[in-house]
Amino acid sequence: MASHFQAGAQTDGTNVPTFKIILVGDGGVGKTTFVKRHLSGEFEKKYIATVGVEVHPLKFHTNRGPIVFNVWDTAGQEKFGGLRDGYYIQGQGAIIMFDVTSRITYKNVANWHRDLVRVCENIPIVLVGNKVDVKDRKVKAKQITFHRKKNLQYYDISAKSNYNFEKPFLWLARKLVGDPNLVFVEAPALAPAEVHIDDTYKAQMEAELQQAQNVALPDEDDDM
Amino acid sequence: MSTVSTKEENQEQQEEQKNEQEDEKATLEEDYSVPFKPLVTLDEVQVTTGEEDEDVLYKNRSKLFRFDKQGSQWKERGTGDVKILQHKDTKKIRLLMRREKTLKICLNHYVNPNIQLEENVGSDRSWVWNAIDYADEVADECVLAIRFPNSEQAKKFKEAYDNARTFMEKLTKESDKSSQEEDKEETKVNEHK
Repeated sequence: MASHFQAGAQTDGTNVPTFKIILVGDGGVGKTTFVKRHLSGEFEKKYIATVGVEVHPLKFHTNRGPIVFNVWDTAGQEKFGGLRDGYYIQGQGAIIMFDVTSRITYKNVANWHRDLVRVCENIPIVLVGNKVDVKDRKVKAKQITFHRKKNLQYYDISAKSNYNFEKPFLWLARKLVGDPNLVFVEAPALAPAEVHIDDTYKAQMEAELQQAQNVALPDEDDDM
Repeated sequence: MSTVSTKEENQEQQEEQKNEQEDEKATLEEDYSVPFKPLVTLDEVQVTTGEEDEDVLYKNRSKLFRFDKQGSQWKERGTGDVKILQHKDTKKIRLLMRREKTLKICLNHYVNPNIQLEENVGSDRSWVWNAIDYADEVADECVLAIRFPNSEQAKKFKEAYDNARTFMEKLTKESDKSSQEEDKEETKVNEHK
């Protein structure tokens, strides 16, 4: 049987190679937060369980041109969908995430991996241990051995502090494009439009500014 | 979903008792993956940053936030170097910032002479301002905040921004003047006809 995942990358109409990336792991390990970090830069502290699946296109500029990862951010909690094979079909790369402060989420990695490779036989997979910024780490580096048995890549990451946050996508890009030295490069900074702000508009903007000024920025103790 | 044997549990506990070693991390990130046939072949490209024709007037590490009006809260936009750039030909000055590591753009707009940096409550190393920003290549009317590692660096940024603002004010006035003159010229030409 011809395997669909060797069929090559799709293009998005502008000839940008596009890949389907599946993101799985237990509920609450930080999958959606990780995706949002890449999308808008925000770090969402509040936990809102993902229902079913949300697909987010993430564009990266590389020394071999732009590529797009369509990231399938799936519901980790079984009550919010449980994963049907349909989510996995034609996946071209995957990230399995667990939370280093929760042993059970690491133990369940084996199940997520089993379900994934049942549909996607030979795709590059990254195992990611999130929340390494938390002081009370439960799954120690030494205990993380699953990737060695199953030939996966592994990264410690923190969606909160941005530690290694680019590594999973960089590694997938290197595998899918076949260049171990591929790097992310500057996205082209186009000239912005010129904007004229008149007095009426300015008055309107000032009200918003005042509201914002009186709300403190998060984590003022952040030493950057 | 869990199917864990007690054997594994015991093993884990034993392992936990051992001391952590620093070289653990190196082996942790080693590539254990099997060779994989790439899905595409892409040629190397010449990288264009879009900043080639600009001079860097100012650059410093910072953290950018965008105000979420509905939730009345600040949301992070990115961490990286904020730059004040001046175009070599047009002399226009813009604010530009990229996120570290992925180098994606999170701030991109011209310095507007009418927009001043304001203080944020409870912080001596941050500034707040209104913007119509083009980081995502479409106009985004927003309130932004930028935080620096310390108040000294924040002060330096404001100085650089204020200088840029004064310059842009002059530049705008000059171009208004010259466009008015052009209009006059055109009228003259038309009168001759």
